[in-house]
Amino acid sequence: MATVWRSQCTFTRILSGKTCRILNNAADLGSKLSPTSQSVTSRKYSNYAHSPLVKHIKEQYEFEVVKKPPEWTYVQRLLPFDTIPQVTPKESYPSGWIPPKDEAKNLPFFIERTRNHELPIYLDITFRGMRKVSAIRKIEGDIWLMNDEVKEYLKNKYCRYVETRVHELGGFIEVKGDFVNALRW
Amino acid sequence: MTSLLINALRRIHLSLPTQTAVKCFSTSSYNSNTLDITKKDWKFPPQYTKPREVWIENLDSIEEKKLGLFELHPAVYATVPRIDIIHQNVIWQRKFRWVSWAHTKTRAEVRGGGRKPWPQKGLGRARHGSIRSPLWRGGGIAHGPRSGKSHFFMLPFHLRIHGLTSTLSAKLAQDDLHVVRDLNLPSDEPNYIIDLIEQRNWGPSVLIVDDTDIAPRNLTAALDALPHVNVMPVYGLNVYSMLKHDTLVLTQSAAERIEERILCHLHSNTRKQQAAFKLDQV
Repeated sequence: MATVWRSQCTFTRILSGKTCRILNNAADLGSKLSPTSQSVTSRKYSNYAHSPLVKHIKEQYEFEVVKKPPEWTYVQRLLPFDTIPQVTPKESYPSGWIPPKDEAKNLPFFIERTRNHELPIYLDITFRGMRKVSAIRKIEGDIWLMNDEVKEYLKNKYCRYVETRVHELGGFIEVKGDFVNALRW
Repeated sequence: MTSLLINALRRIHLSLPTQTAVKCFSTSSYNSNTLDITKKDWKFPPQYTKPREVWIENLDSIEEKKLGLFELHPAVYATVPRIDIIHQNVIWQRKFRWVSWAHTKTRAEVRGGGRKPWPQKGLGRARHGSIRSPLWRGGGIAHGPRSGKSHFFMLPFHLRIHGLTSTLSAKLAQDDLHVVRDLNLPSDEPNYIIDLIEQRNWGPSVLIVDDTDIAPRNLTAALDALPHVNVMPVYGLNVYSMLKHDTLVLTQSAAERIEERILCHLHSNTRKQQAAFKLDQV
């Protein structure tokens, strides 16, 4: 019994909704549509643009192309960099970043900075934290001399032997253990 | 004598200061006034490795003339040649366009075989349900190749870049990379190109790379009959073709363009290029 009552209710609601919609349309039209024509022309417009209420919309706007106006500098400020910019030299950097030294280029080996001007020293954690390997990458020059110096330095600092692995062609040294902070001397 | 000295210098990759180079040439038969020595000012100057110097040669006479000296960035033309990365690039270039059309029929696709060949029990024979079972002669193939199998994959972006720099560096180190001023030839005879390659000891196959899409008419007409000498624009440069040809000949503008593009990729944020390849992205 209750279900029947509810369905009747919905039926009436749909009907009333329809009439409401037409009435609303008429309200949009203003005084152009007479109330008698409402019930006769109950047309459904599937597309908003096909409705007679919508005027022709101009999609192309007229504009003038100006080359290199003074305003272009303001646009350029908003454009993303195509390459990572060089660092502007300063007295000190609040982040603690240390700029590369010029005298390092005269040493027998050299570590190039990454494209983001950081030191290429990383920690690889594998086997769920069981194996930690610190890697120094982008080494140019005498990598075997650098290997000896790294071993000597870590041995003096930690008073124990450290195992390293040198990839000459790849230009990197891997040190077994977490020595990242020690290697960023 | 001079050429011997030059060859020795090139072989040991000795980077002479400019003054010495000029002096060395003022004594030679070449006119030092016409020798054009370019010192480049890069946006990303080389940090530790010195720039490589190459001769700018000519193509408008069979005899080799040195038109000038030219500097190449070591990050592009003098990296350590990683043959493992070159190999990965070659494998990638062979695989990504390979679609295997090998095809076999399964037991469902071979004609017939719907009927049970003999009763299950009572004959003393092995039990079989179809004469097209993979056990039978003339039966279907189990787990055979099915056609239209794509072997497409993308090599990571930086391995592609590293492959290019490795191959260019290997070519330069082996004296197989030559820089020419332009590609203008005096004639459109194929014999001219053959003599030129023979004279300069460039090996039979030569890959010529130019900055533009349009090569001079004399060059294209001469190369029409020579399948082993090819022209390519800069955007078509790839590891496979460089390895396939004995000698790589770059025009000066092409060498600069390759350097500029690779240096740009080496010093920019490549997050977009490193993202997973989508099939509709190009």
